[in-house]
Amino acid sequence: MNPNYEKSSIELPESWRAKAPILLSAGLILLCLGFLCSFGGTATGEDNAQGFKYLCHSYLANFVFVFSFTLGALFFILVQFLTRAGWSTSIRRVAEILMMMIPYLALLFVPIIAMLFAGSSALYEWNSKDIHNSVIASKATFYLSKEFFTLRTVVYFICWILTANWFFRISRAQDESGDTELSLLRQKWAGPLIMLFSLTVSFAAFDWLMSIDADWYSTIFGVYLFSGSMMSFFAVMIVINMLLQSAGKVKKLVTVEHFHDMGKFLFGFVMFWSYIAFSQLVLIWYANIPEETFWYQVRLDNGWMAFSYGIIPIHFIIPFLFLMSRHIRRNRTALTIGAVWVLFAHWYDMTFLVMPNAGPAQLIPLFGHLLGGFGMLSIFASMFIWRADGVPLVAMRDPRLPEAMAYTNPIL
Amino acid sequence: MSEHKPRKTIEKKVPKAFGWMAEYEDENRLLVAARKVRDSGYTKTDAFTPFPVHGIDEALGIKPTILPFIVLCAGLTGLFTALLMQWWMNGVDYKYIISGKPFGITPASIPIAFELTVLFSAFTTFLGMIALNQLPKFSNPVFTNPRFDRATNDRFFLYVEATDKYYNRESVKELLGGTHPDSLDEVLEDTTSNTLPRPIILGAVLLVVAGLIPAMIILNIRAGYSTDPRFHVFFDMDFQPKKKTQQTTTIFADGRIMRPQVKGTIGRGQLEEQDPFYLGYDPSKLTAIDTLETGRFVSLQDPKPADGAAAPASAAATQTPAADGGAQTPAAPAPTPALNLPWIDKLPIEVNDSNMALGKQKFETYCSACHGYAGFGDGLVHKRADSLVQGYWLPPTSMHIDRVRAQPVGQIFHTITKGQGKMASYASALNPKERWAIVLYVRALQKSRNADISEVPVDMVKTLDEVK
Repeated sequence: MNPNYEKSSIELPESWRAKAPILLSAGLILLCLGFLCSFGGTATGEDNAQGFKYLCHSYLANFVFVFSFTLGALFFILVQFLTRAGWSTSIRRVAEILMMMIPYLALLFVPIIAMLFAGSSALYEWNSKDIHNSVIASKATFYLSKEFFTLRTVVYFICWILTANWFFRISRAQDESGDTELSLLRQKWAGPLIMLFSLTVSFAAFDWLMSIDADWYSTIFGVYLFSGSMMSFFAVMIVINMLLQSAGKVKKLVTVEHFHDMGKFLFGFVMFWSYIAFSQLVLIWYANIPEETFWYQVRLDNGWMAFSYGIIPIHFIIPFLFLMSRHIRRNRTALTIGAVWVLFAHWYDMTFLVMPNAGPAQLIPLFGHLLGGFGMLSIFASMFIWRADGVPLVAMRDPRLPEAMAYTNPIL
Repeated sequence: MSEHKPRKTIEKKVPKAFGWMAEYEDENRLLVAARKVRDSGYTKTDAFTPFPVHGIDEALGIKPTILPFIVLCAGLTGLFTALLMQWWMNGVDYKYIISGKPFGITPASIPIAFELTVLFSAFTTFLGMIALNQLPKFSNPVFTNPRFDRATNDRFFLYVEATDKYYNRESVKELLGGTHPDSLDEVLEDTTSNTLPRPIILGAVLLVVAGLIPAMIILNIRAGYSTDPRFHVFFDMDFQPKKKTQQTTTIFADGRIMRPQVKGTIGRGQLEEQDPFYLGYDPSKLTAIDTLETGRFVSLQDPKPADGAAAPASAAATQTPAADGGAQTPAAPAPTPALNLPWIDKLPIEVNDSNMALGKQKFETYCSACHGYAGFGDGLVHKRADSLVQGYWLPPTSMHIDRVRAQPVGQIFHTITKGQGKMASYASALNPKERWAIVLYVRALQKSRNADISEVPVDMVKTLDEVK
């Protein structure tokens, strides 16, 4: 659209490229350190089963923690085209790169599948011949079998990867041609694909996270994961754009108005997560049926009580009050602090969902789990750099870019 | 400027000037002009546009509103109002057990707190917006300019008010004139007469008078007397051409409006009334003990215990044989006789693992709350009621007392279907097959508490020893 832009301003910072291998190795080291902490803290003498169980849960929680960013990105792209949004055009490419990381991250799911086929039921208790005291799991032996689970997981990844690839390819083609038809084509398919997305994400949440408790079910669980995904996605977007700008890139293209808008979404999804999480809680609390309530009981026993109650201030009250003011959302430093906090809250949420199933709360293993979270983030960052290398960071020839540039938030 | 021809002007008044208004062709020129006016220091300005113009707030130098702060305060007020209210109502003033939940603030209070927060915020946003905009404002001096009508169509106006502290008639005119407006007019007071036109006053008086008529009619009817029959507004609804039950007719030879069943037909639901599977007893054998049944029903209705044989058989025809359980009439002086129906002895469902599992699942879901998991009548509800020591709690029946063990399967099924004493009917919650499965499970429970060692399969005896 605008030929008078400096090409270098929308390229990945030169200094970042060298950081990718460092980040990857740092991530792997942190993961290993975390595993050592967790393992050492939980394994008791000869019996290593508890330690291994803890590792598996930790890995799953940290994997979903970073993977949910890319799910959020995919939904964001779909919804931008569904609503024909103009404001987001200048930040859309970063989200597209995030969504294109799904195939990379799919590799990180391979250990979980491998663990299933090795016959371990440390993570998924249903992957065992004798399931104790498990009414639903004994009925769902077909659904919760390692073969069908793997098949479903592969189908989810295929759906997401194909959708992401298709959108990315067209977006890159538009970089060359600037053809308006390419935007219309993506608008046309955004609707059906969003339905496919919501179905696959719901079922992925059921399969990957909910089935670690094969007895327990919550029909809102898919939405729960989705709300956390969107929230953490916007946090990641804010952090990445801030880092890019401090490296001197996309300075004029991503304005304070865009940060303000992402901040609004961040705030909104903090609220949405709380709404969904509370909806899940209040129905189970009120019905008071043992087969549902035990999931919360697990999260209140074995020393998890303080941790579980902590999610209310950490994931709701603090970010909600902090992000409420527009002055915070329009201030780059303050918004970045908010985004980093929300990322931590999302990690906390994933830990809350997964870790109490692994055993009692202990400080050292939990610290190892946190190290693992940092490790996953490092690996994620290195993958981002590799994926973003050579891709313009803004879709410069998108016909809606002038709209994004002209947009301002009204003064309230 | 339009020509005003006031109706009743005694002397030509000099119209008061409210400020200057400039007209522009598009929003860009309006924005440029607005910035210029803002930079000159004027604050009492306003812009009128046919659509919301991005950036006009900044161009006019409008200060951020304090409305968000007011809304935040209102929202917090709503939140704490809701929490305080619920804490007081359910925790202090009127402690009432609801679903066994604790008193005071619980997770169930949060939706109310959420709603009141939103309610207070929304009302404050709406009313605060109206108040801060000084609405409703029925007229504005700018309306006197006929060109202003196009502000809702395709023209953009910038208005500098005379109340501004830097206002100077000549310098504002010069300033606005320098922004190349399409027209520049002074906003003048509306000098037309402000008395209401006479037809409008007349119409209003007529409306008020006419509005009193229905009220007067109603008052008259309420206070006065009339010998006329009641007035039927919808005659054909009060007197419908239809027959009700128990009435007579001339259409049929026997004069009855209710028609007997045509021979050889079965009505809807009647099949189930004839099948032991749905009843627990065999209705075809009912006639054999009809006299006893009749006696039972008479005894229920008569204060004196009647002897069964003496009751007339014709009275039995009007009674429904399978009424509620006899224990539901505490007024009867003597203990009501046990239901004596031709119960079936054999389970109409297959005795197999899946039926047993179904029965177990349903028993644990629906029965165990009162009767306990093992059927001793020691469920959680009973324990809770017992611990409250209220005196009027009737303990649930144990499955293992002789009376229940002696009951045929059909009678247990009937109890589940129709209820007994305090126990409600479970027919709406469980379908017949599930009820029979529960009966099967109850039988198994009874057996489990009264089995002889010789009944245990030989290969299982060893495991029994291990359990001990």
